[in-house]
Amino acid sequence: MSAPVDGSLAPGGAALGEPVVTRDGVVPGDPPGGSAPTSPTLRSTWRSGRLIVLLGVLVVLIAVLGVLLAPQRGPSRPLDPADTSLAGSRALAELLRGRGVQVDRVDSAEAAARLATTGGPRLLLITDTAYVDEHALAAIPGDRLIVGDMPGLAALAPEVHTDPDPARTRSREPECGLPAARAAGSAYMGGTAFHGPPGAALCYPSTGEGHTLVSYARSGGTTTVVGDGSFMTNLRLAEDGNAALALNLIGTGRPVTWLVRPDNPQVAQLPGERGQSLTDLLPDNVRWTVYMALIALAVTAIWRGRRLGPVVTERLPVVVRAAETVEGRGRLYRARRARQRAAEALRAGTVDRLTPRLGLATGAGGQEVVAALAARTGQDPHRVGAALYGPPPADDAALVALAAYLDLMERQVSEL
Amino acid sequence: MALTGRAGLVAALGIVLVMLAPQPGAALAGVCLLLAAAIVIDLTFAGAVRPLRLHRSGDTLVRLGQRATVELVVENPGSRRVRGVLRDAWPPSAGATPRVARIDVPKGERRRIVVTLDPTRRGDRSSVAVTVRSLGPLGLAARQGGHRAPWTVRVLPPFLSRKHLPSRLARLRELDGQHPALVRGQGTEFDSLREYVVGDDVRSIDWRATARRHDVVVRTWRPERDRRVLIVLDTGRTSAGRVGDAPIPMAGATPGGGGLLARPDARPVPGWPRLDWSMDAALLLAALAARAGDQVDFLAYDRAVRAWVGGASRTELLSSLVNAMAPIEAELVEADAQGMVAAVLSRARRRCLVVLLTDLNGAAMDEGLMPVLPQLASRHLLLVAGVSDPRVAAMAARRGSAEEVYDAAAAEHAQLERRRITARLRRAGVEVVDAPPEDIAPALADAYLALKAAGRL
Repeated sequence: MSAPVDGSLAPGGAALGEPVVTRDGVVPGDPPGGSAPTSPTLRSTWRSGRLIVLLGVLVVLIAVLGVLLAPQRGPSRPLDPADTSLAGSRALAELLRGRGVQVDRVDSAEAAARLATTGGPRLLLITDTAYVDEHALAAIPGDRLIVGDMPGLAALAPEVHTDPDPARTRSREPECGLPAARAAGSAYMGGTAFHGPPGAALCYPSTGEGHTLVSYARSGGTTTVVGDGSFMTNLRLAEDGNAALALNLIGTGRPVTWLVRPDNPQVAQLPGERGQSLTDLLPDNVRWTVYMALIALAVTAIWRGRRLGPVVTERLPVVVRAAETVEGRGRLYRARRARQRAAEALRAGTVDRLTPRLGLATGAGGQEVVAALAARTGQDPHRVGAALYGPPPADDAALVALAAYLDLMERQVSEL
Repeated sequence: MALTGRAGLVAALGIVLVMLAPQPGAALAGVCLLLAAAIVIDLTFAGAVRPLRLHRSGDTLVRLGQRATVELVVENPGSRRVRGVLRDAWPPSAGATPRVARIDVPKGERRRIVVTLDPTRRGDRSSVAVTVRSLGPLGLAARQGGHRAPWTVRVLPPFLSRKHLPSRLARLRELDGQHPALVRGQGTEFDSLREYVVGDDVRSIDWRATARRHDVVVRTWRPERDRRVLIVLDTGRTSAGRVGDAPIPMAGATPGGGGLLARPDARPVPGWPRLDWSMDAALLLAALAARAGDQVDFLAYDRAVRAWVGGASRTELLSSLVNAMAPIEAELVEADAQGMVAAVLSRARRRCLVVLLTDLNGAAMDEGLMPVLPQLASRHLLLVAGVSDPRVAAMAARRGSAEEVYDAAAAEHAQLERRRITARLRRAGVEVVDAPPEDIAPALADAYLALKAAGRL
């Protein structure tokens, strides 16, 4: 008899004898303390990170130099006499100056009013009223040319009404008696269509009822409203009769006050109630409190974001049920309503189990099995034969019935 | 470096202060400067983490289902007290607790932390890293650093079937010399001569010895000994399938159990892999065979040799086996039966009992083992043991609705395949053990005892 094995079968690893593979925790090359710090020192951090820092500095330098050396080009300002972009109107302004017309670019109602008080009559060219008080503008006497539909149109030209159908901007014929338009001929017009007061000159009709140029005389001077300013831009000025129309409308010899949108419009500068903006109304503490809240948020983020040690990953074994293929086959049977195959499997299983019980050899034929089974259970041989070797069931109910009948026969054989 | 919740709280209080202060700008600057100064003070006066020394001791072996303890001694040779938290990071299936321990080590002293491991699956579990966060005196900021303090605990198979061992050993003793058989039969060999006592079969009297001794002497017989048993474990894809109910909850027994990717709608996948049930059966067989005086070798194979235990002495056999089995996982490849037969034939020169633990899967067997079976069966006695799936048996008995009858038909089909392959194996002279997971170990032991009693080893 060999040495007793019972001792080594006791629970617990210690009783399992000398283990074949053990780790005593000290790997050769480790410090004598059995542990080694793994966090990087300042020096190693610098050594590993200096290339990245260098690259970062280089990228920032190139970006800063690029911005400093690039020509100053802000966003395009539409219909601005100082803007050379495609949407600007520098070309028209230069043409006007070349004809001796003085062009004064202003960006506020106050400046326009100041110019109006000095010297003789002027033409006020209004391209944008978003940041000015239209009532102050309306009070300025003299001729005015309004380009496009704008918020203050009702105050600036109360006699003009806009047509609900906008007109596509395209080359249009003047079809009116206004000399400035007739002389210019076809021009790139469209945008908003207007209805003028009686007696007004209506040119460049839209497909609907309205016209895209309305000119009429009022008490202080002539008011001209144009649906769209495209014909005045650097892009379109050379086409059609655009330049001629613009020069005829603006270049009447009088100095031009050219009102444009402010260079750096700020929402806070929008005139509010009693001239106070939103930031003026907020107490000083709110702003600083928001800053402090941001700092507190950053501190909390650093607190929560610092992990205590690394994330430990693990290769887990695959989780798969062994019965999955069988379940899959069952679902295929269901999906295809494979009654024939299902019935075959059930019958074969029953025959396989019953054959030895009926005292037959494993290779016994169908006739023998049916005869033996009918004799044993007392069932009708035809019915037994139909159940075991008959045609496949016609529907699901027949399949369930077949399974129940097979079960019944198996039970009878095992009980008898 | 790390900040604490206290720093966040101070910053949050700063919000209130700035909101109420008459000069909010100055208050903000003051709060921030104060906080920054306090953090710098904390970082300066916190105990250094880098010079810490960590020593480990404790268990290196544990059976699955049992608890291991690993001690971690933190030695602080630095000049300041190290107060804060320590995390000993183990893989999730090591089941290490506590996850984070508070430590307070005065300068020049050492403190012990006990980490208990409740492993949830077999294999080697190694500590990944130890991270220490040392708080400053104000508790606003901390120094943080990592240490590598390697330690590996090997989680062995649980050998649950050892409860069946005493009854099988009793059966063995019936066959063995302690209950000597007086009748010579197949599978027995001559044991000894002893004096005749009344009741002994007169046919067992050794007349030649009786003549020499002037006394009536009978021969006694005992079962043959010193046979060879080679246990072959198939670690291919079919052994990854899970069957039965896990006696010890296993990691991954439910998909994403507690993990970040946990799917609440996923059905729990019960059971152990076939591989683990097979290991359990192999251990019982090995214990029994070693006790019966046979030489037991062990081979794990899928497309390459995963483990080999050969020529282990009887006392060391079980510990060698569990150590060899511990790291084996089922590989998701089709097992190479030809290579396995070659490996068996090259290792077993003498005739022996080859016990192949695999799945009796019709398709896999037809492709793999069946063509090469004659090579093996002609040289050795082959016993194929397969763990059947009780879930399939339950499916085959269902009759509730048409859908369940379809399922039952599919299960019946699978069982037919299994019986067909079993019959083919038996015709080829191979012993077959096909049992549900809970019964495979005793069934295999009984098959071995039957072979032993029949003297077929």
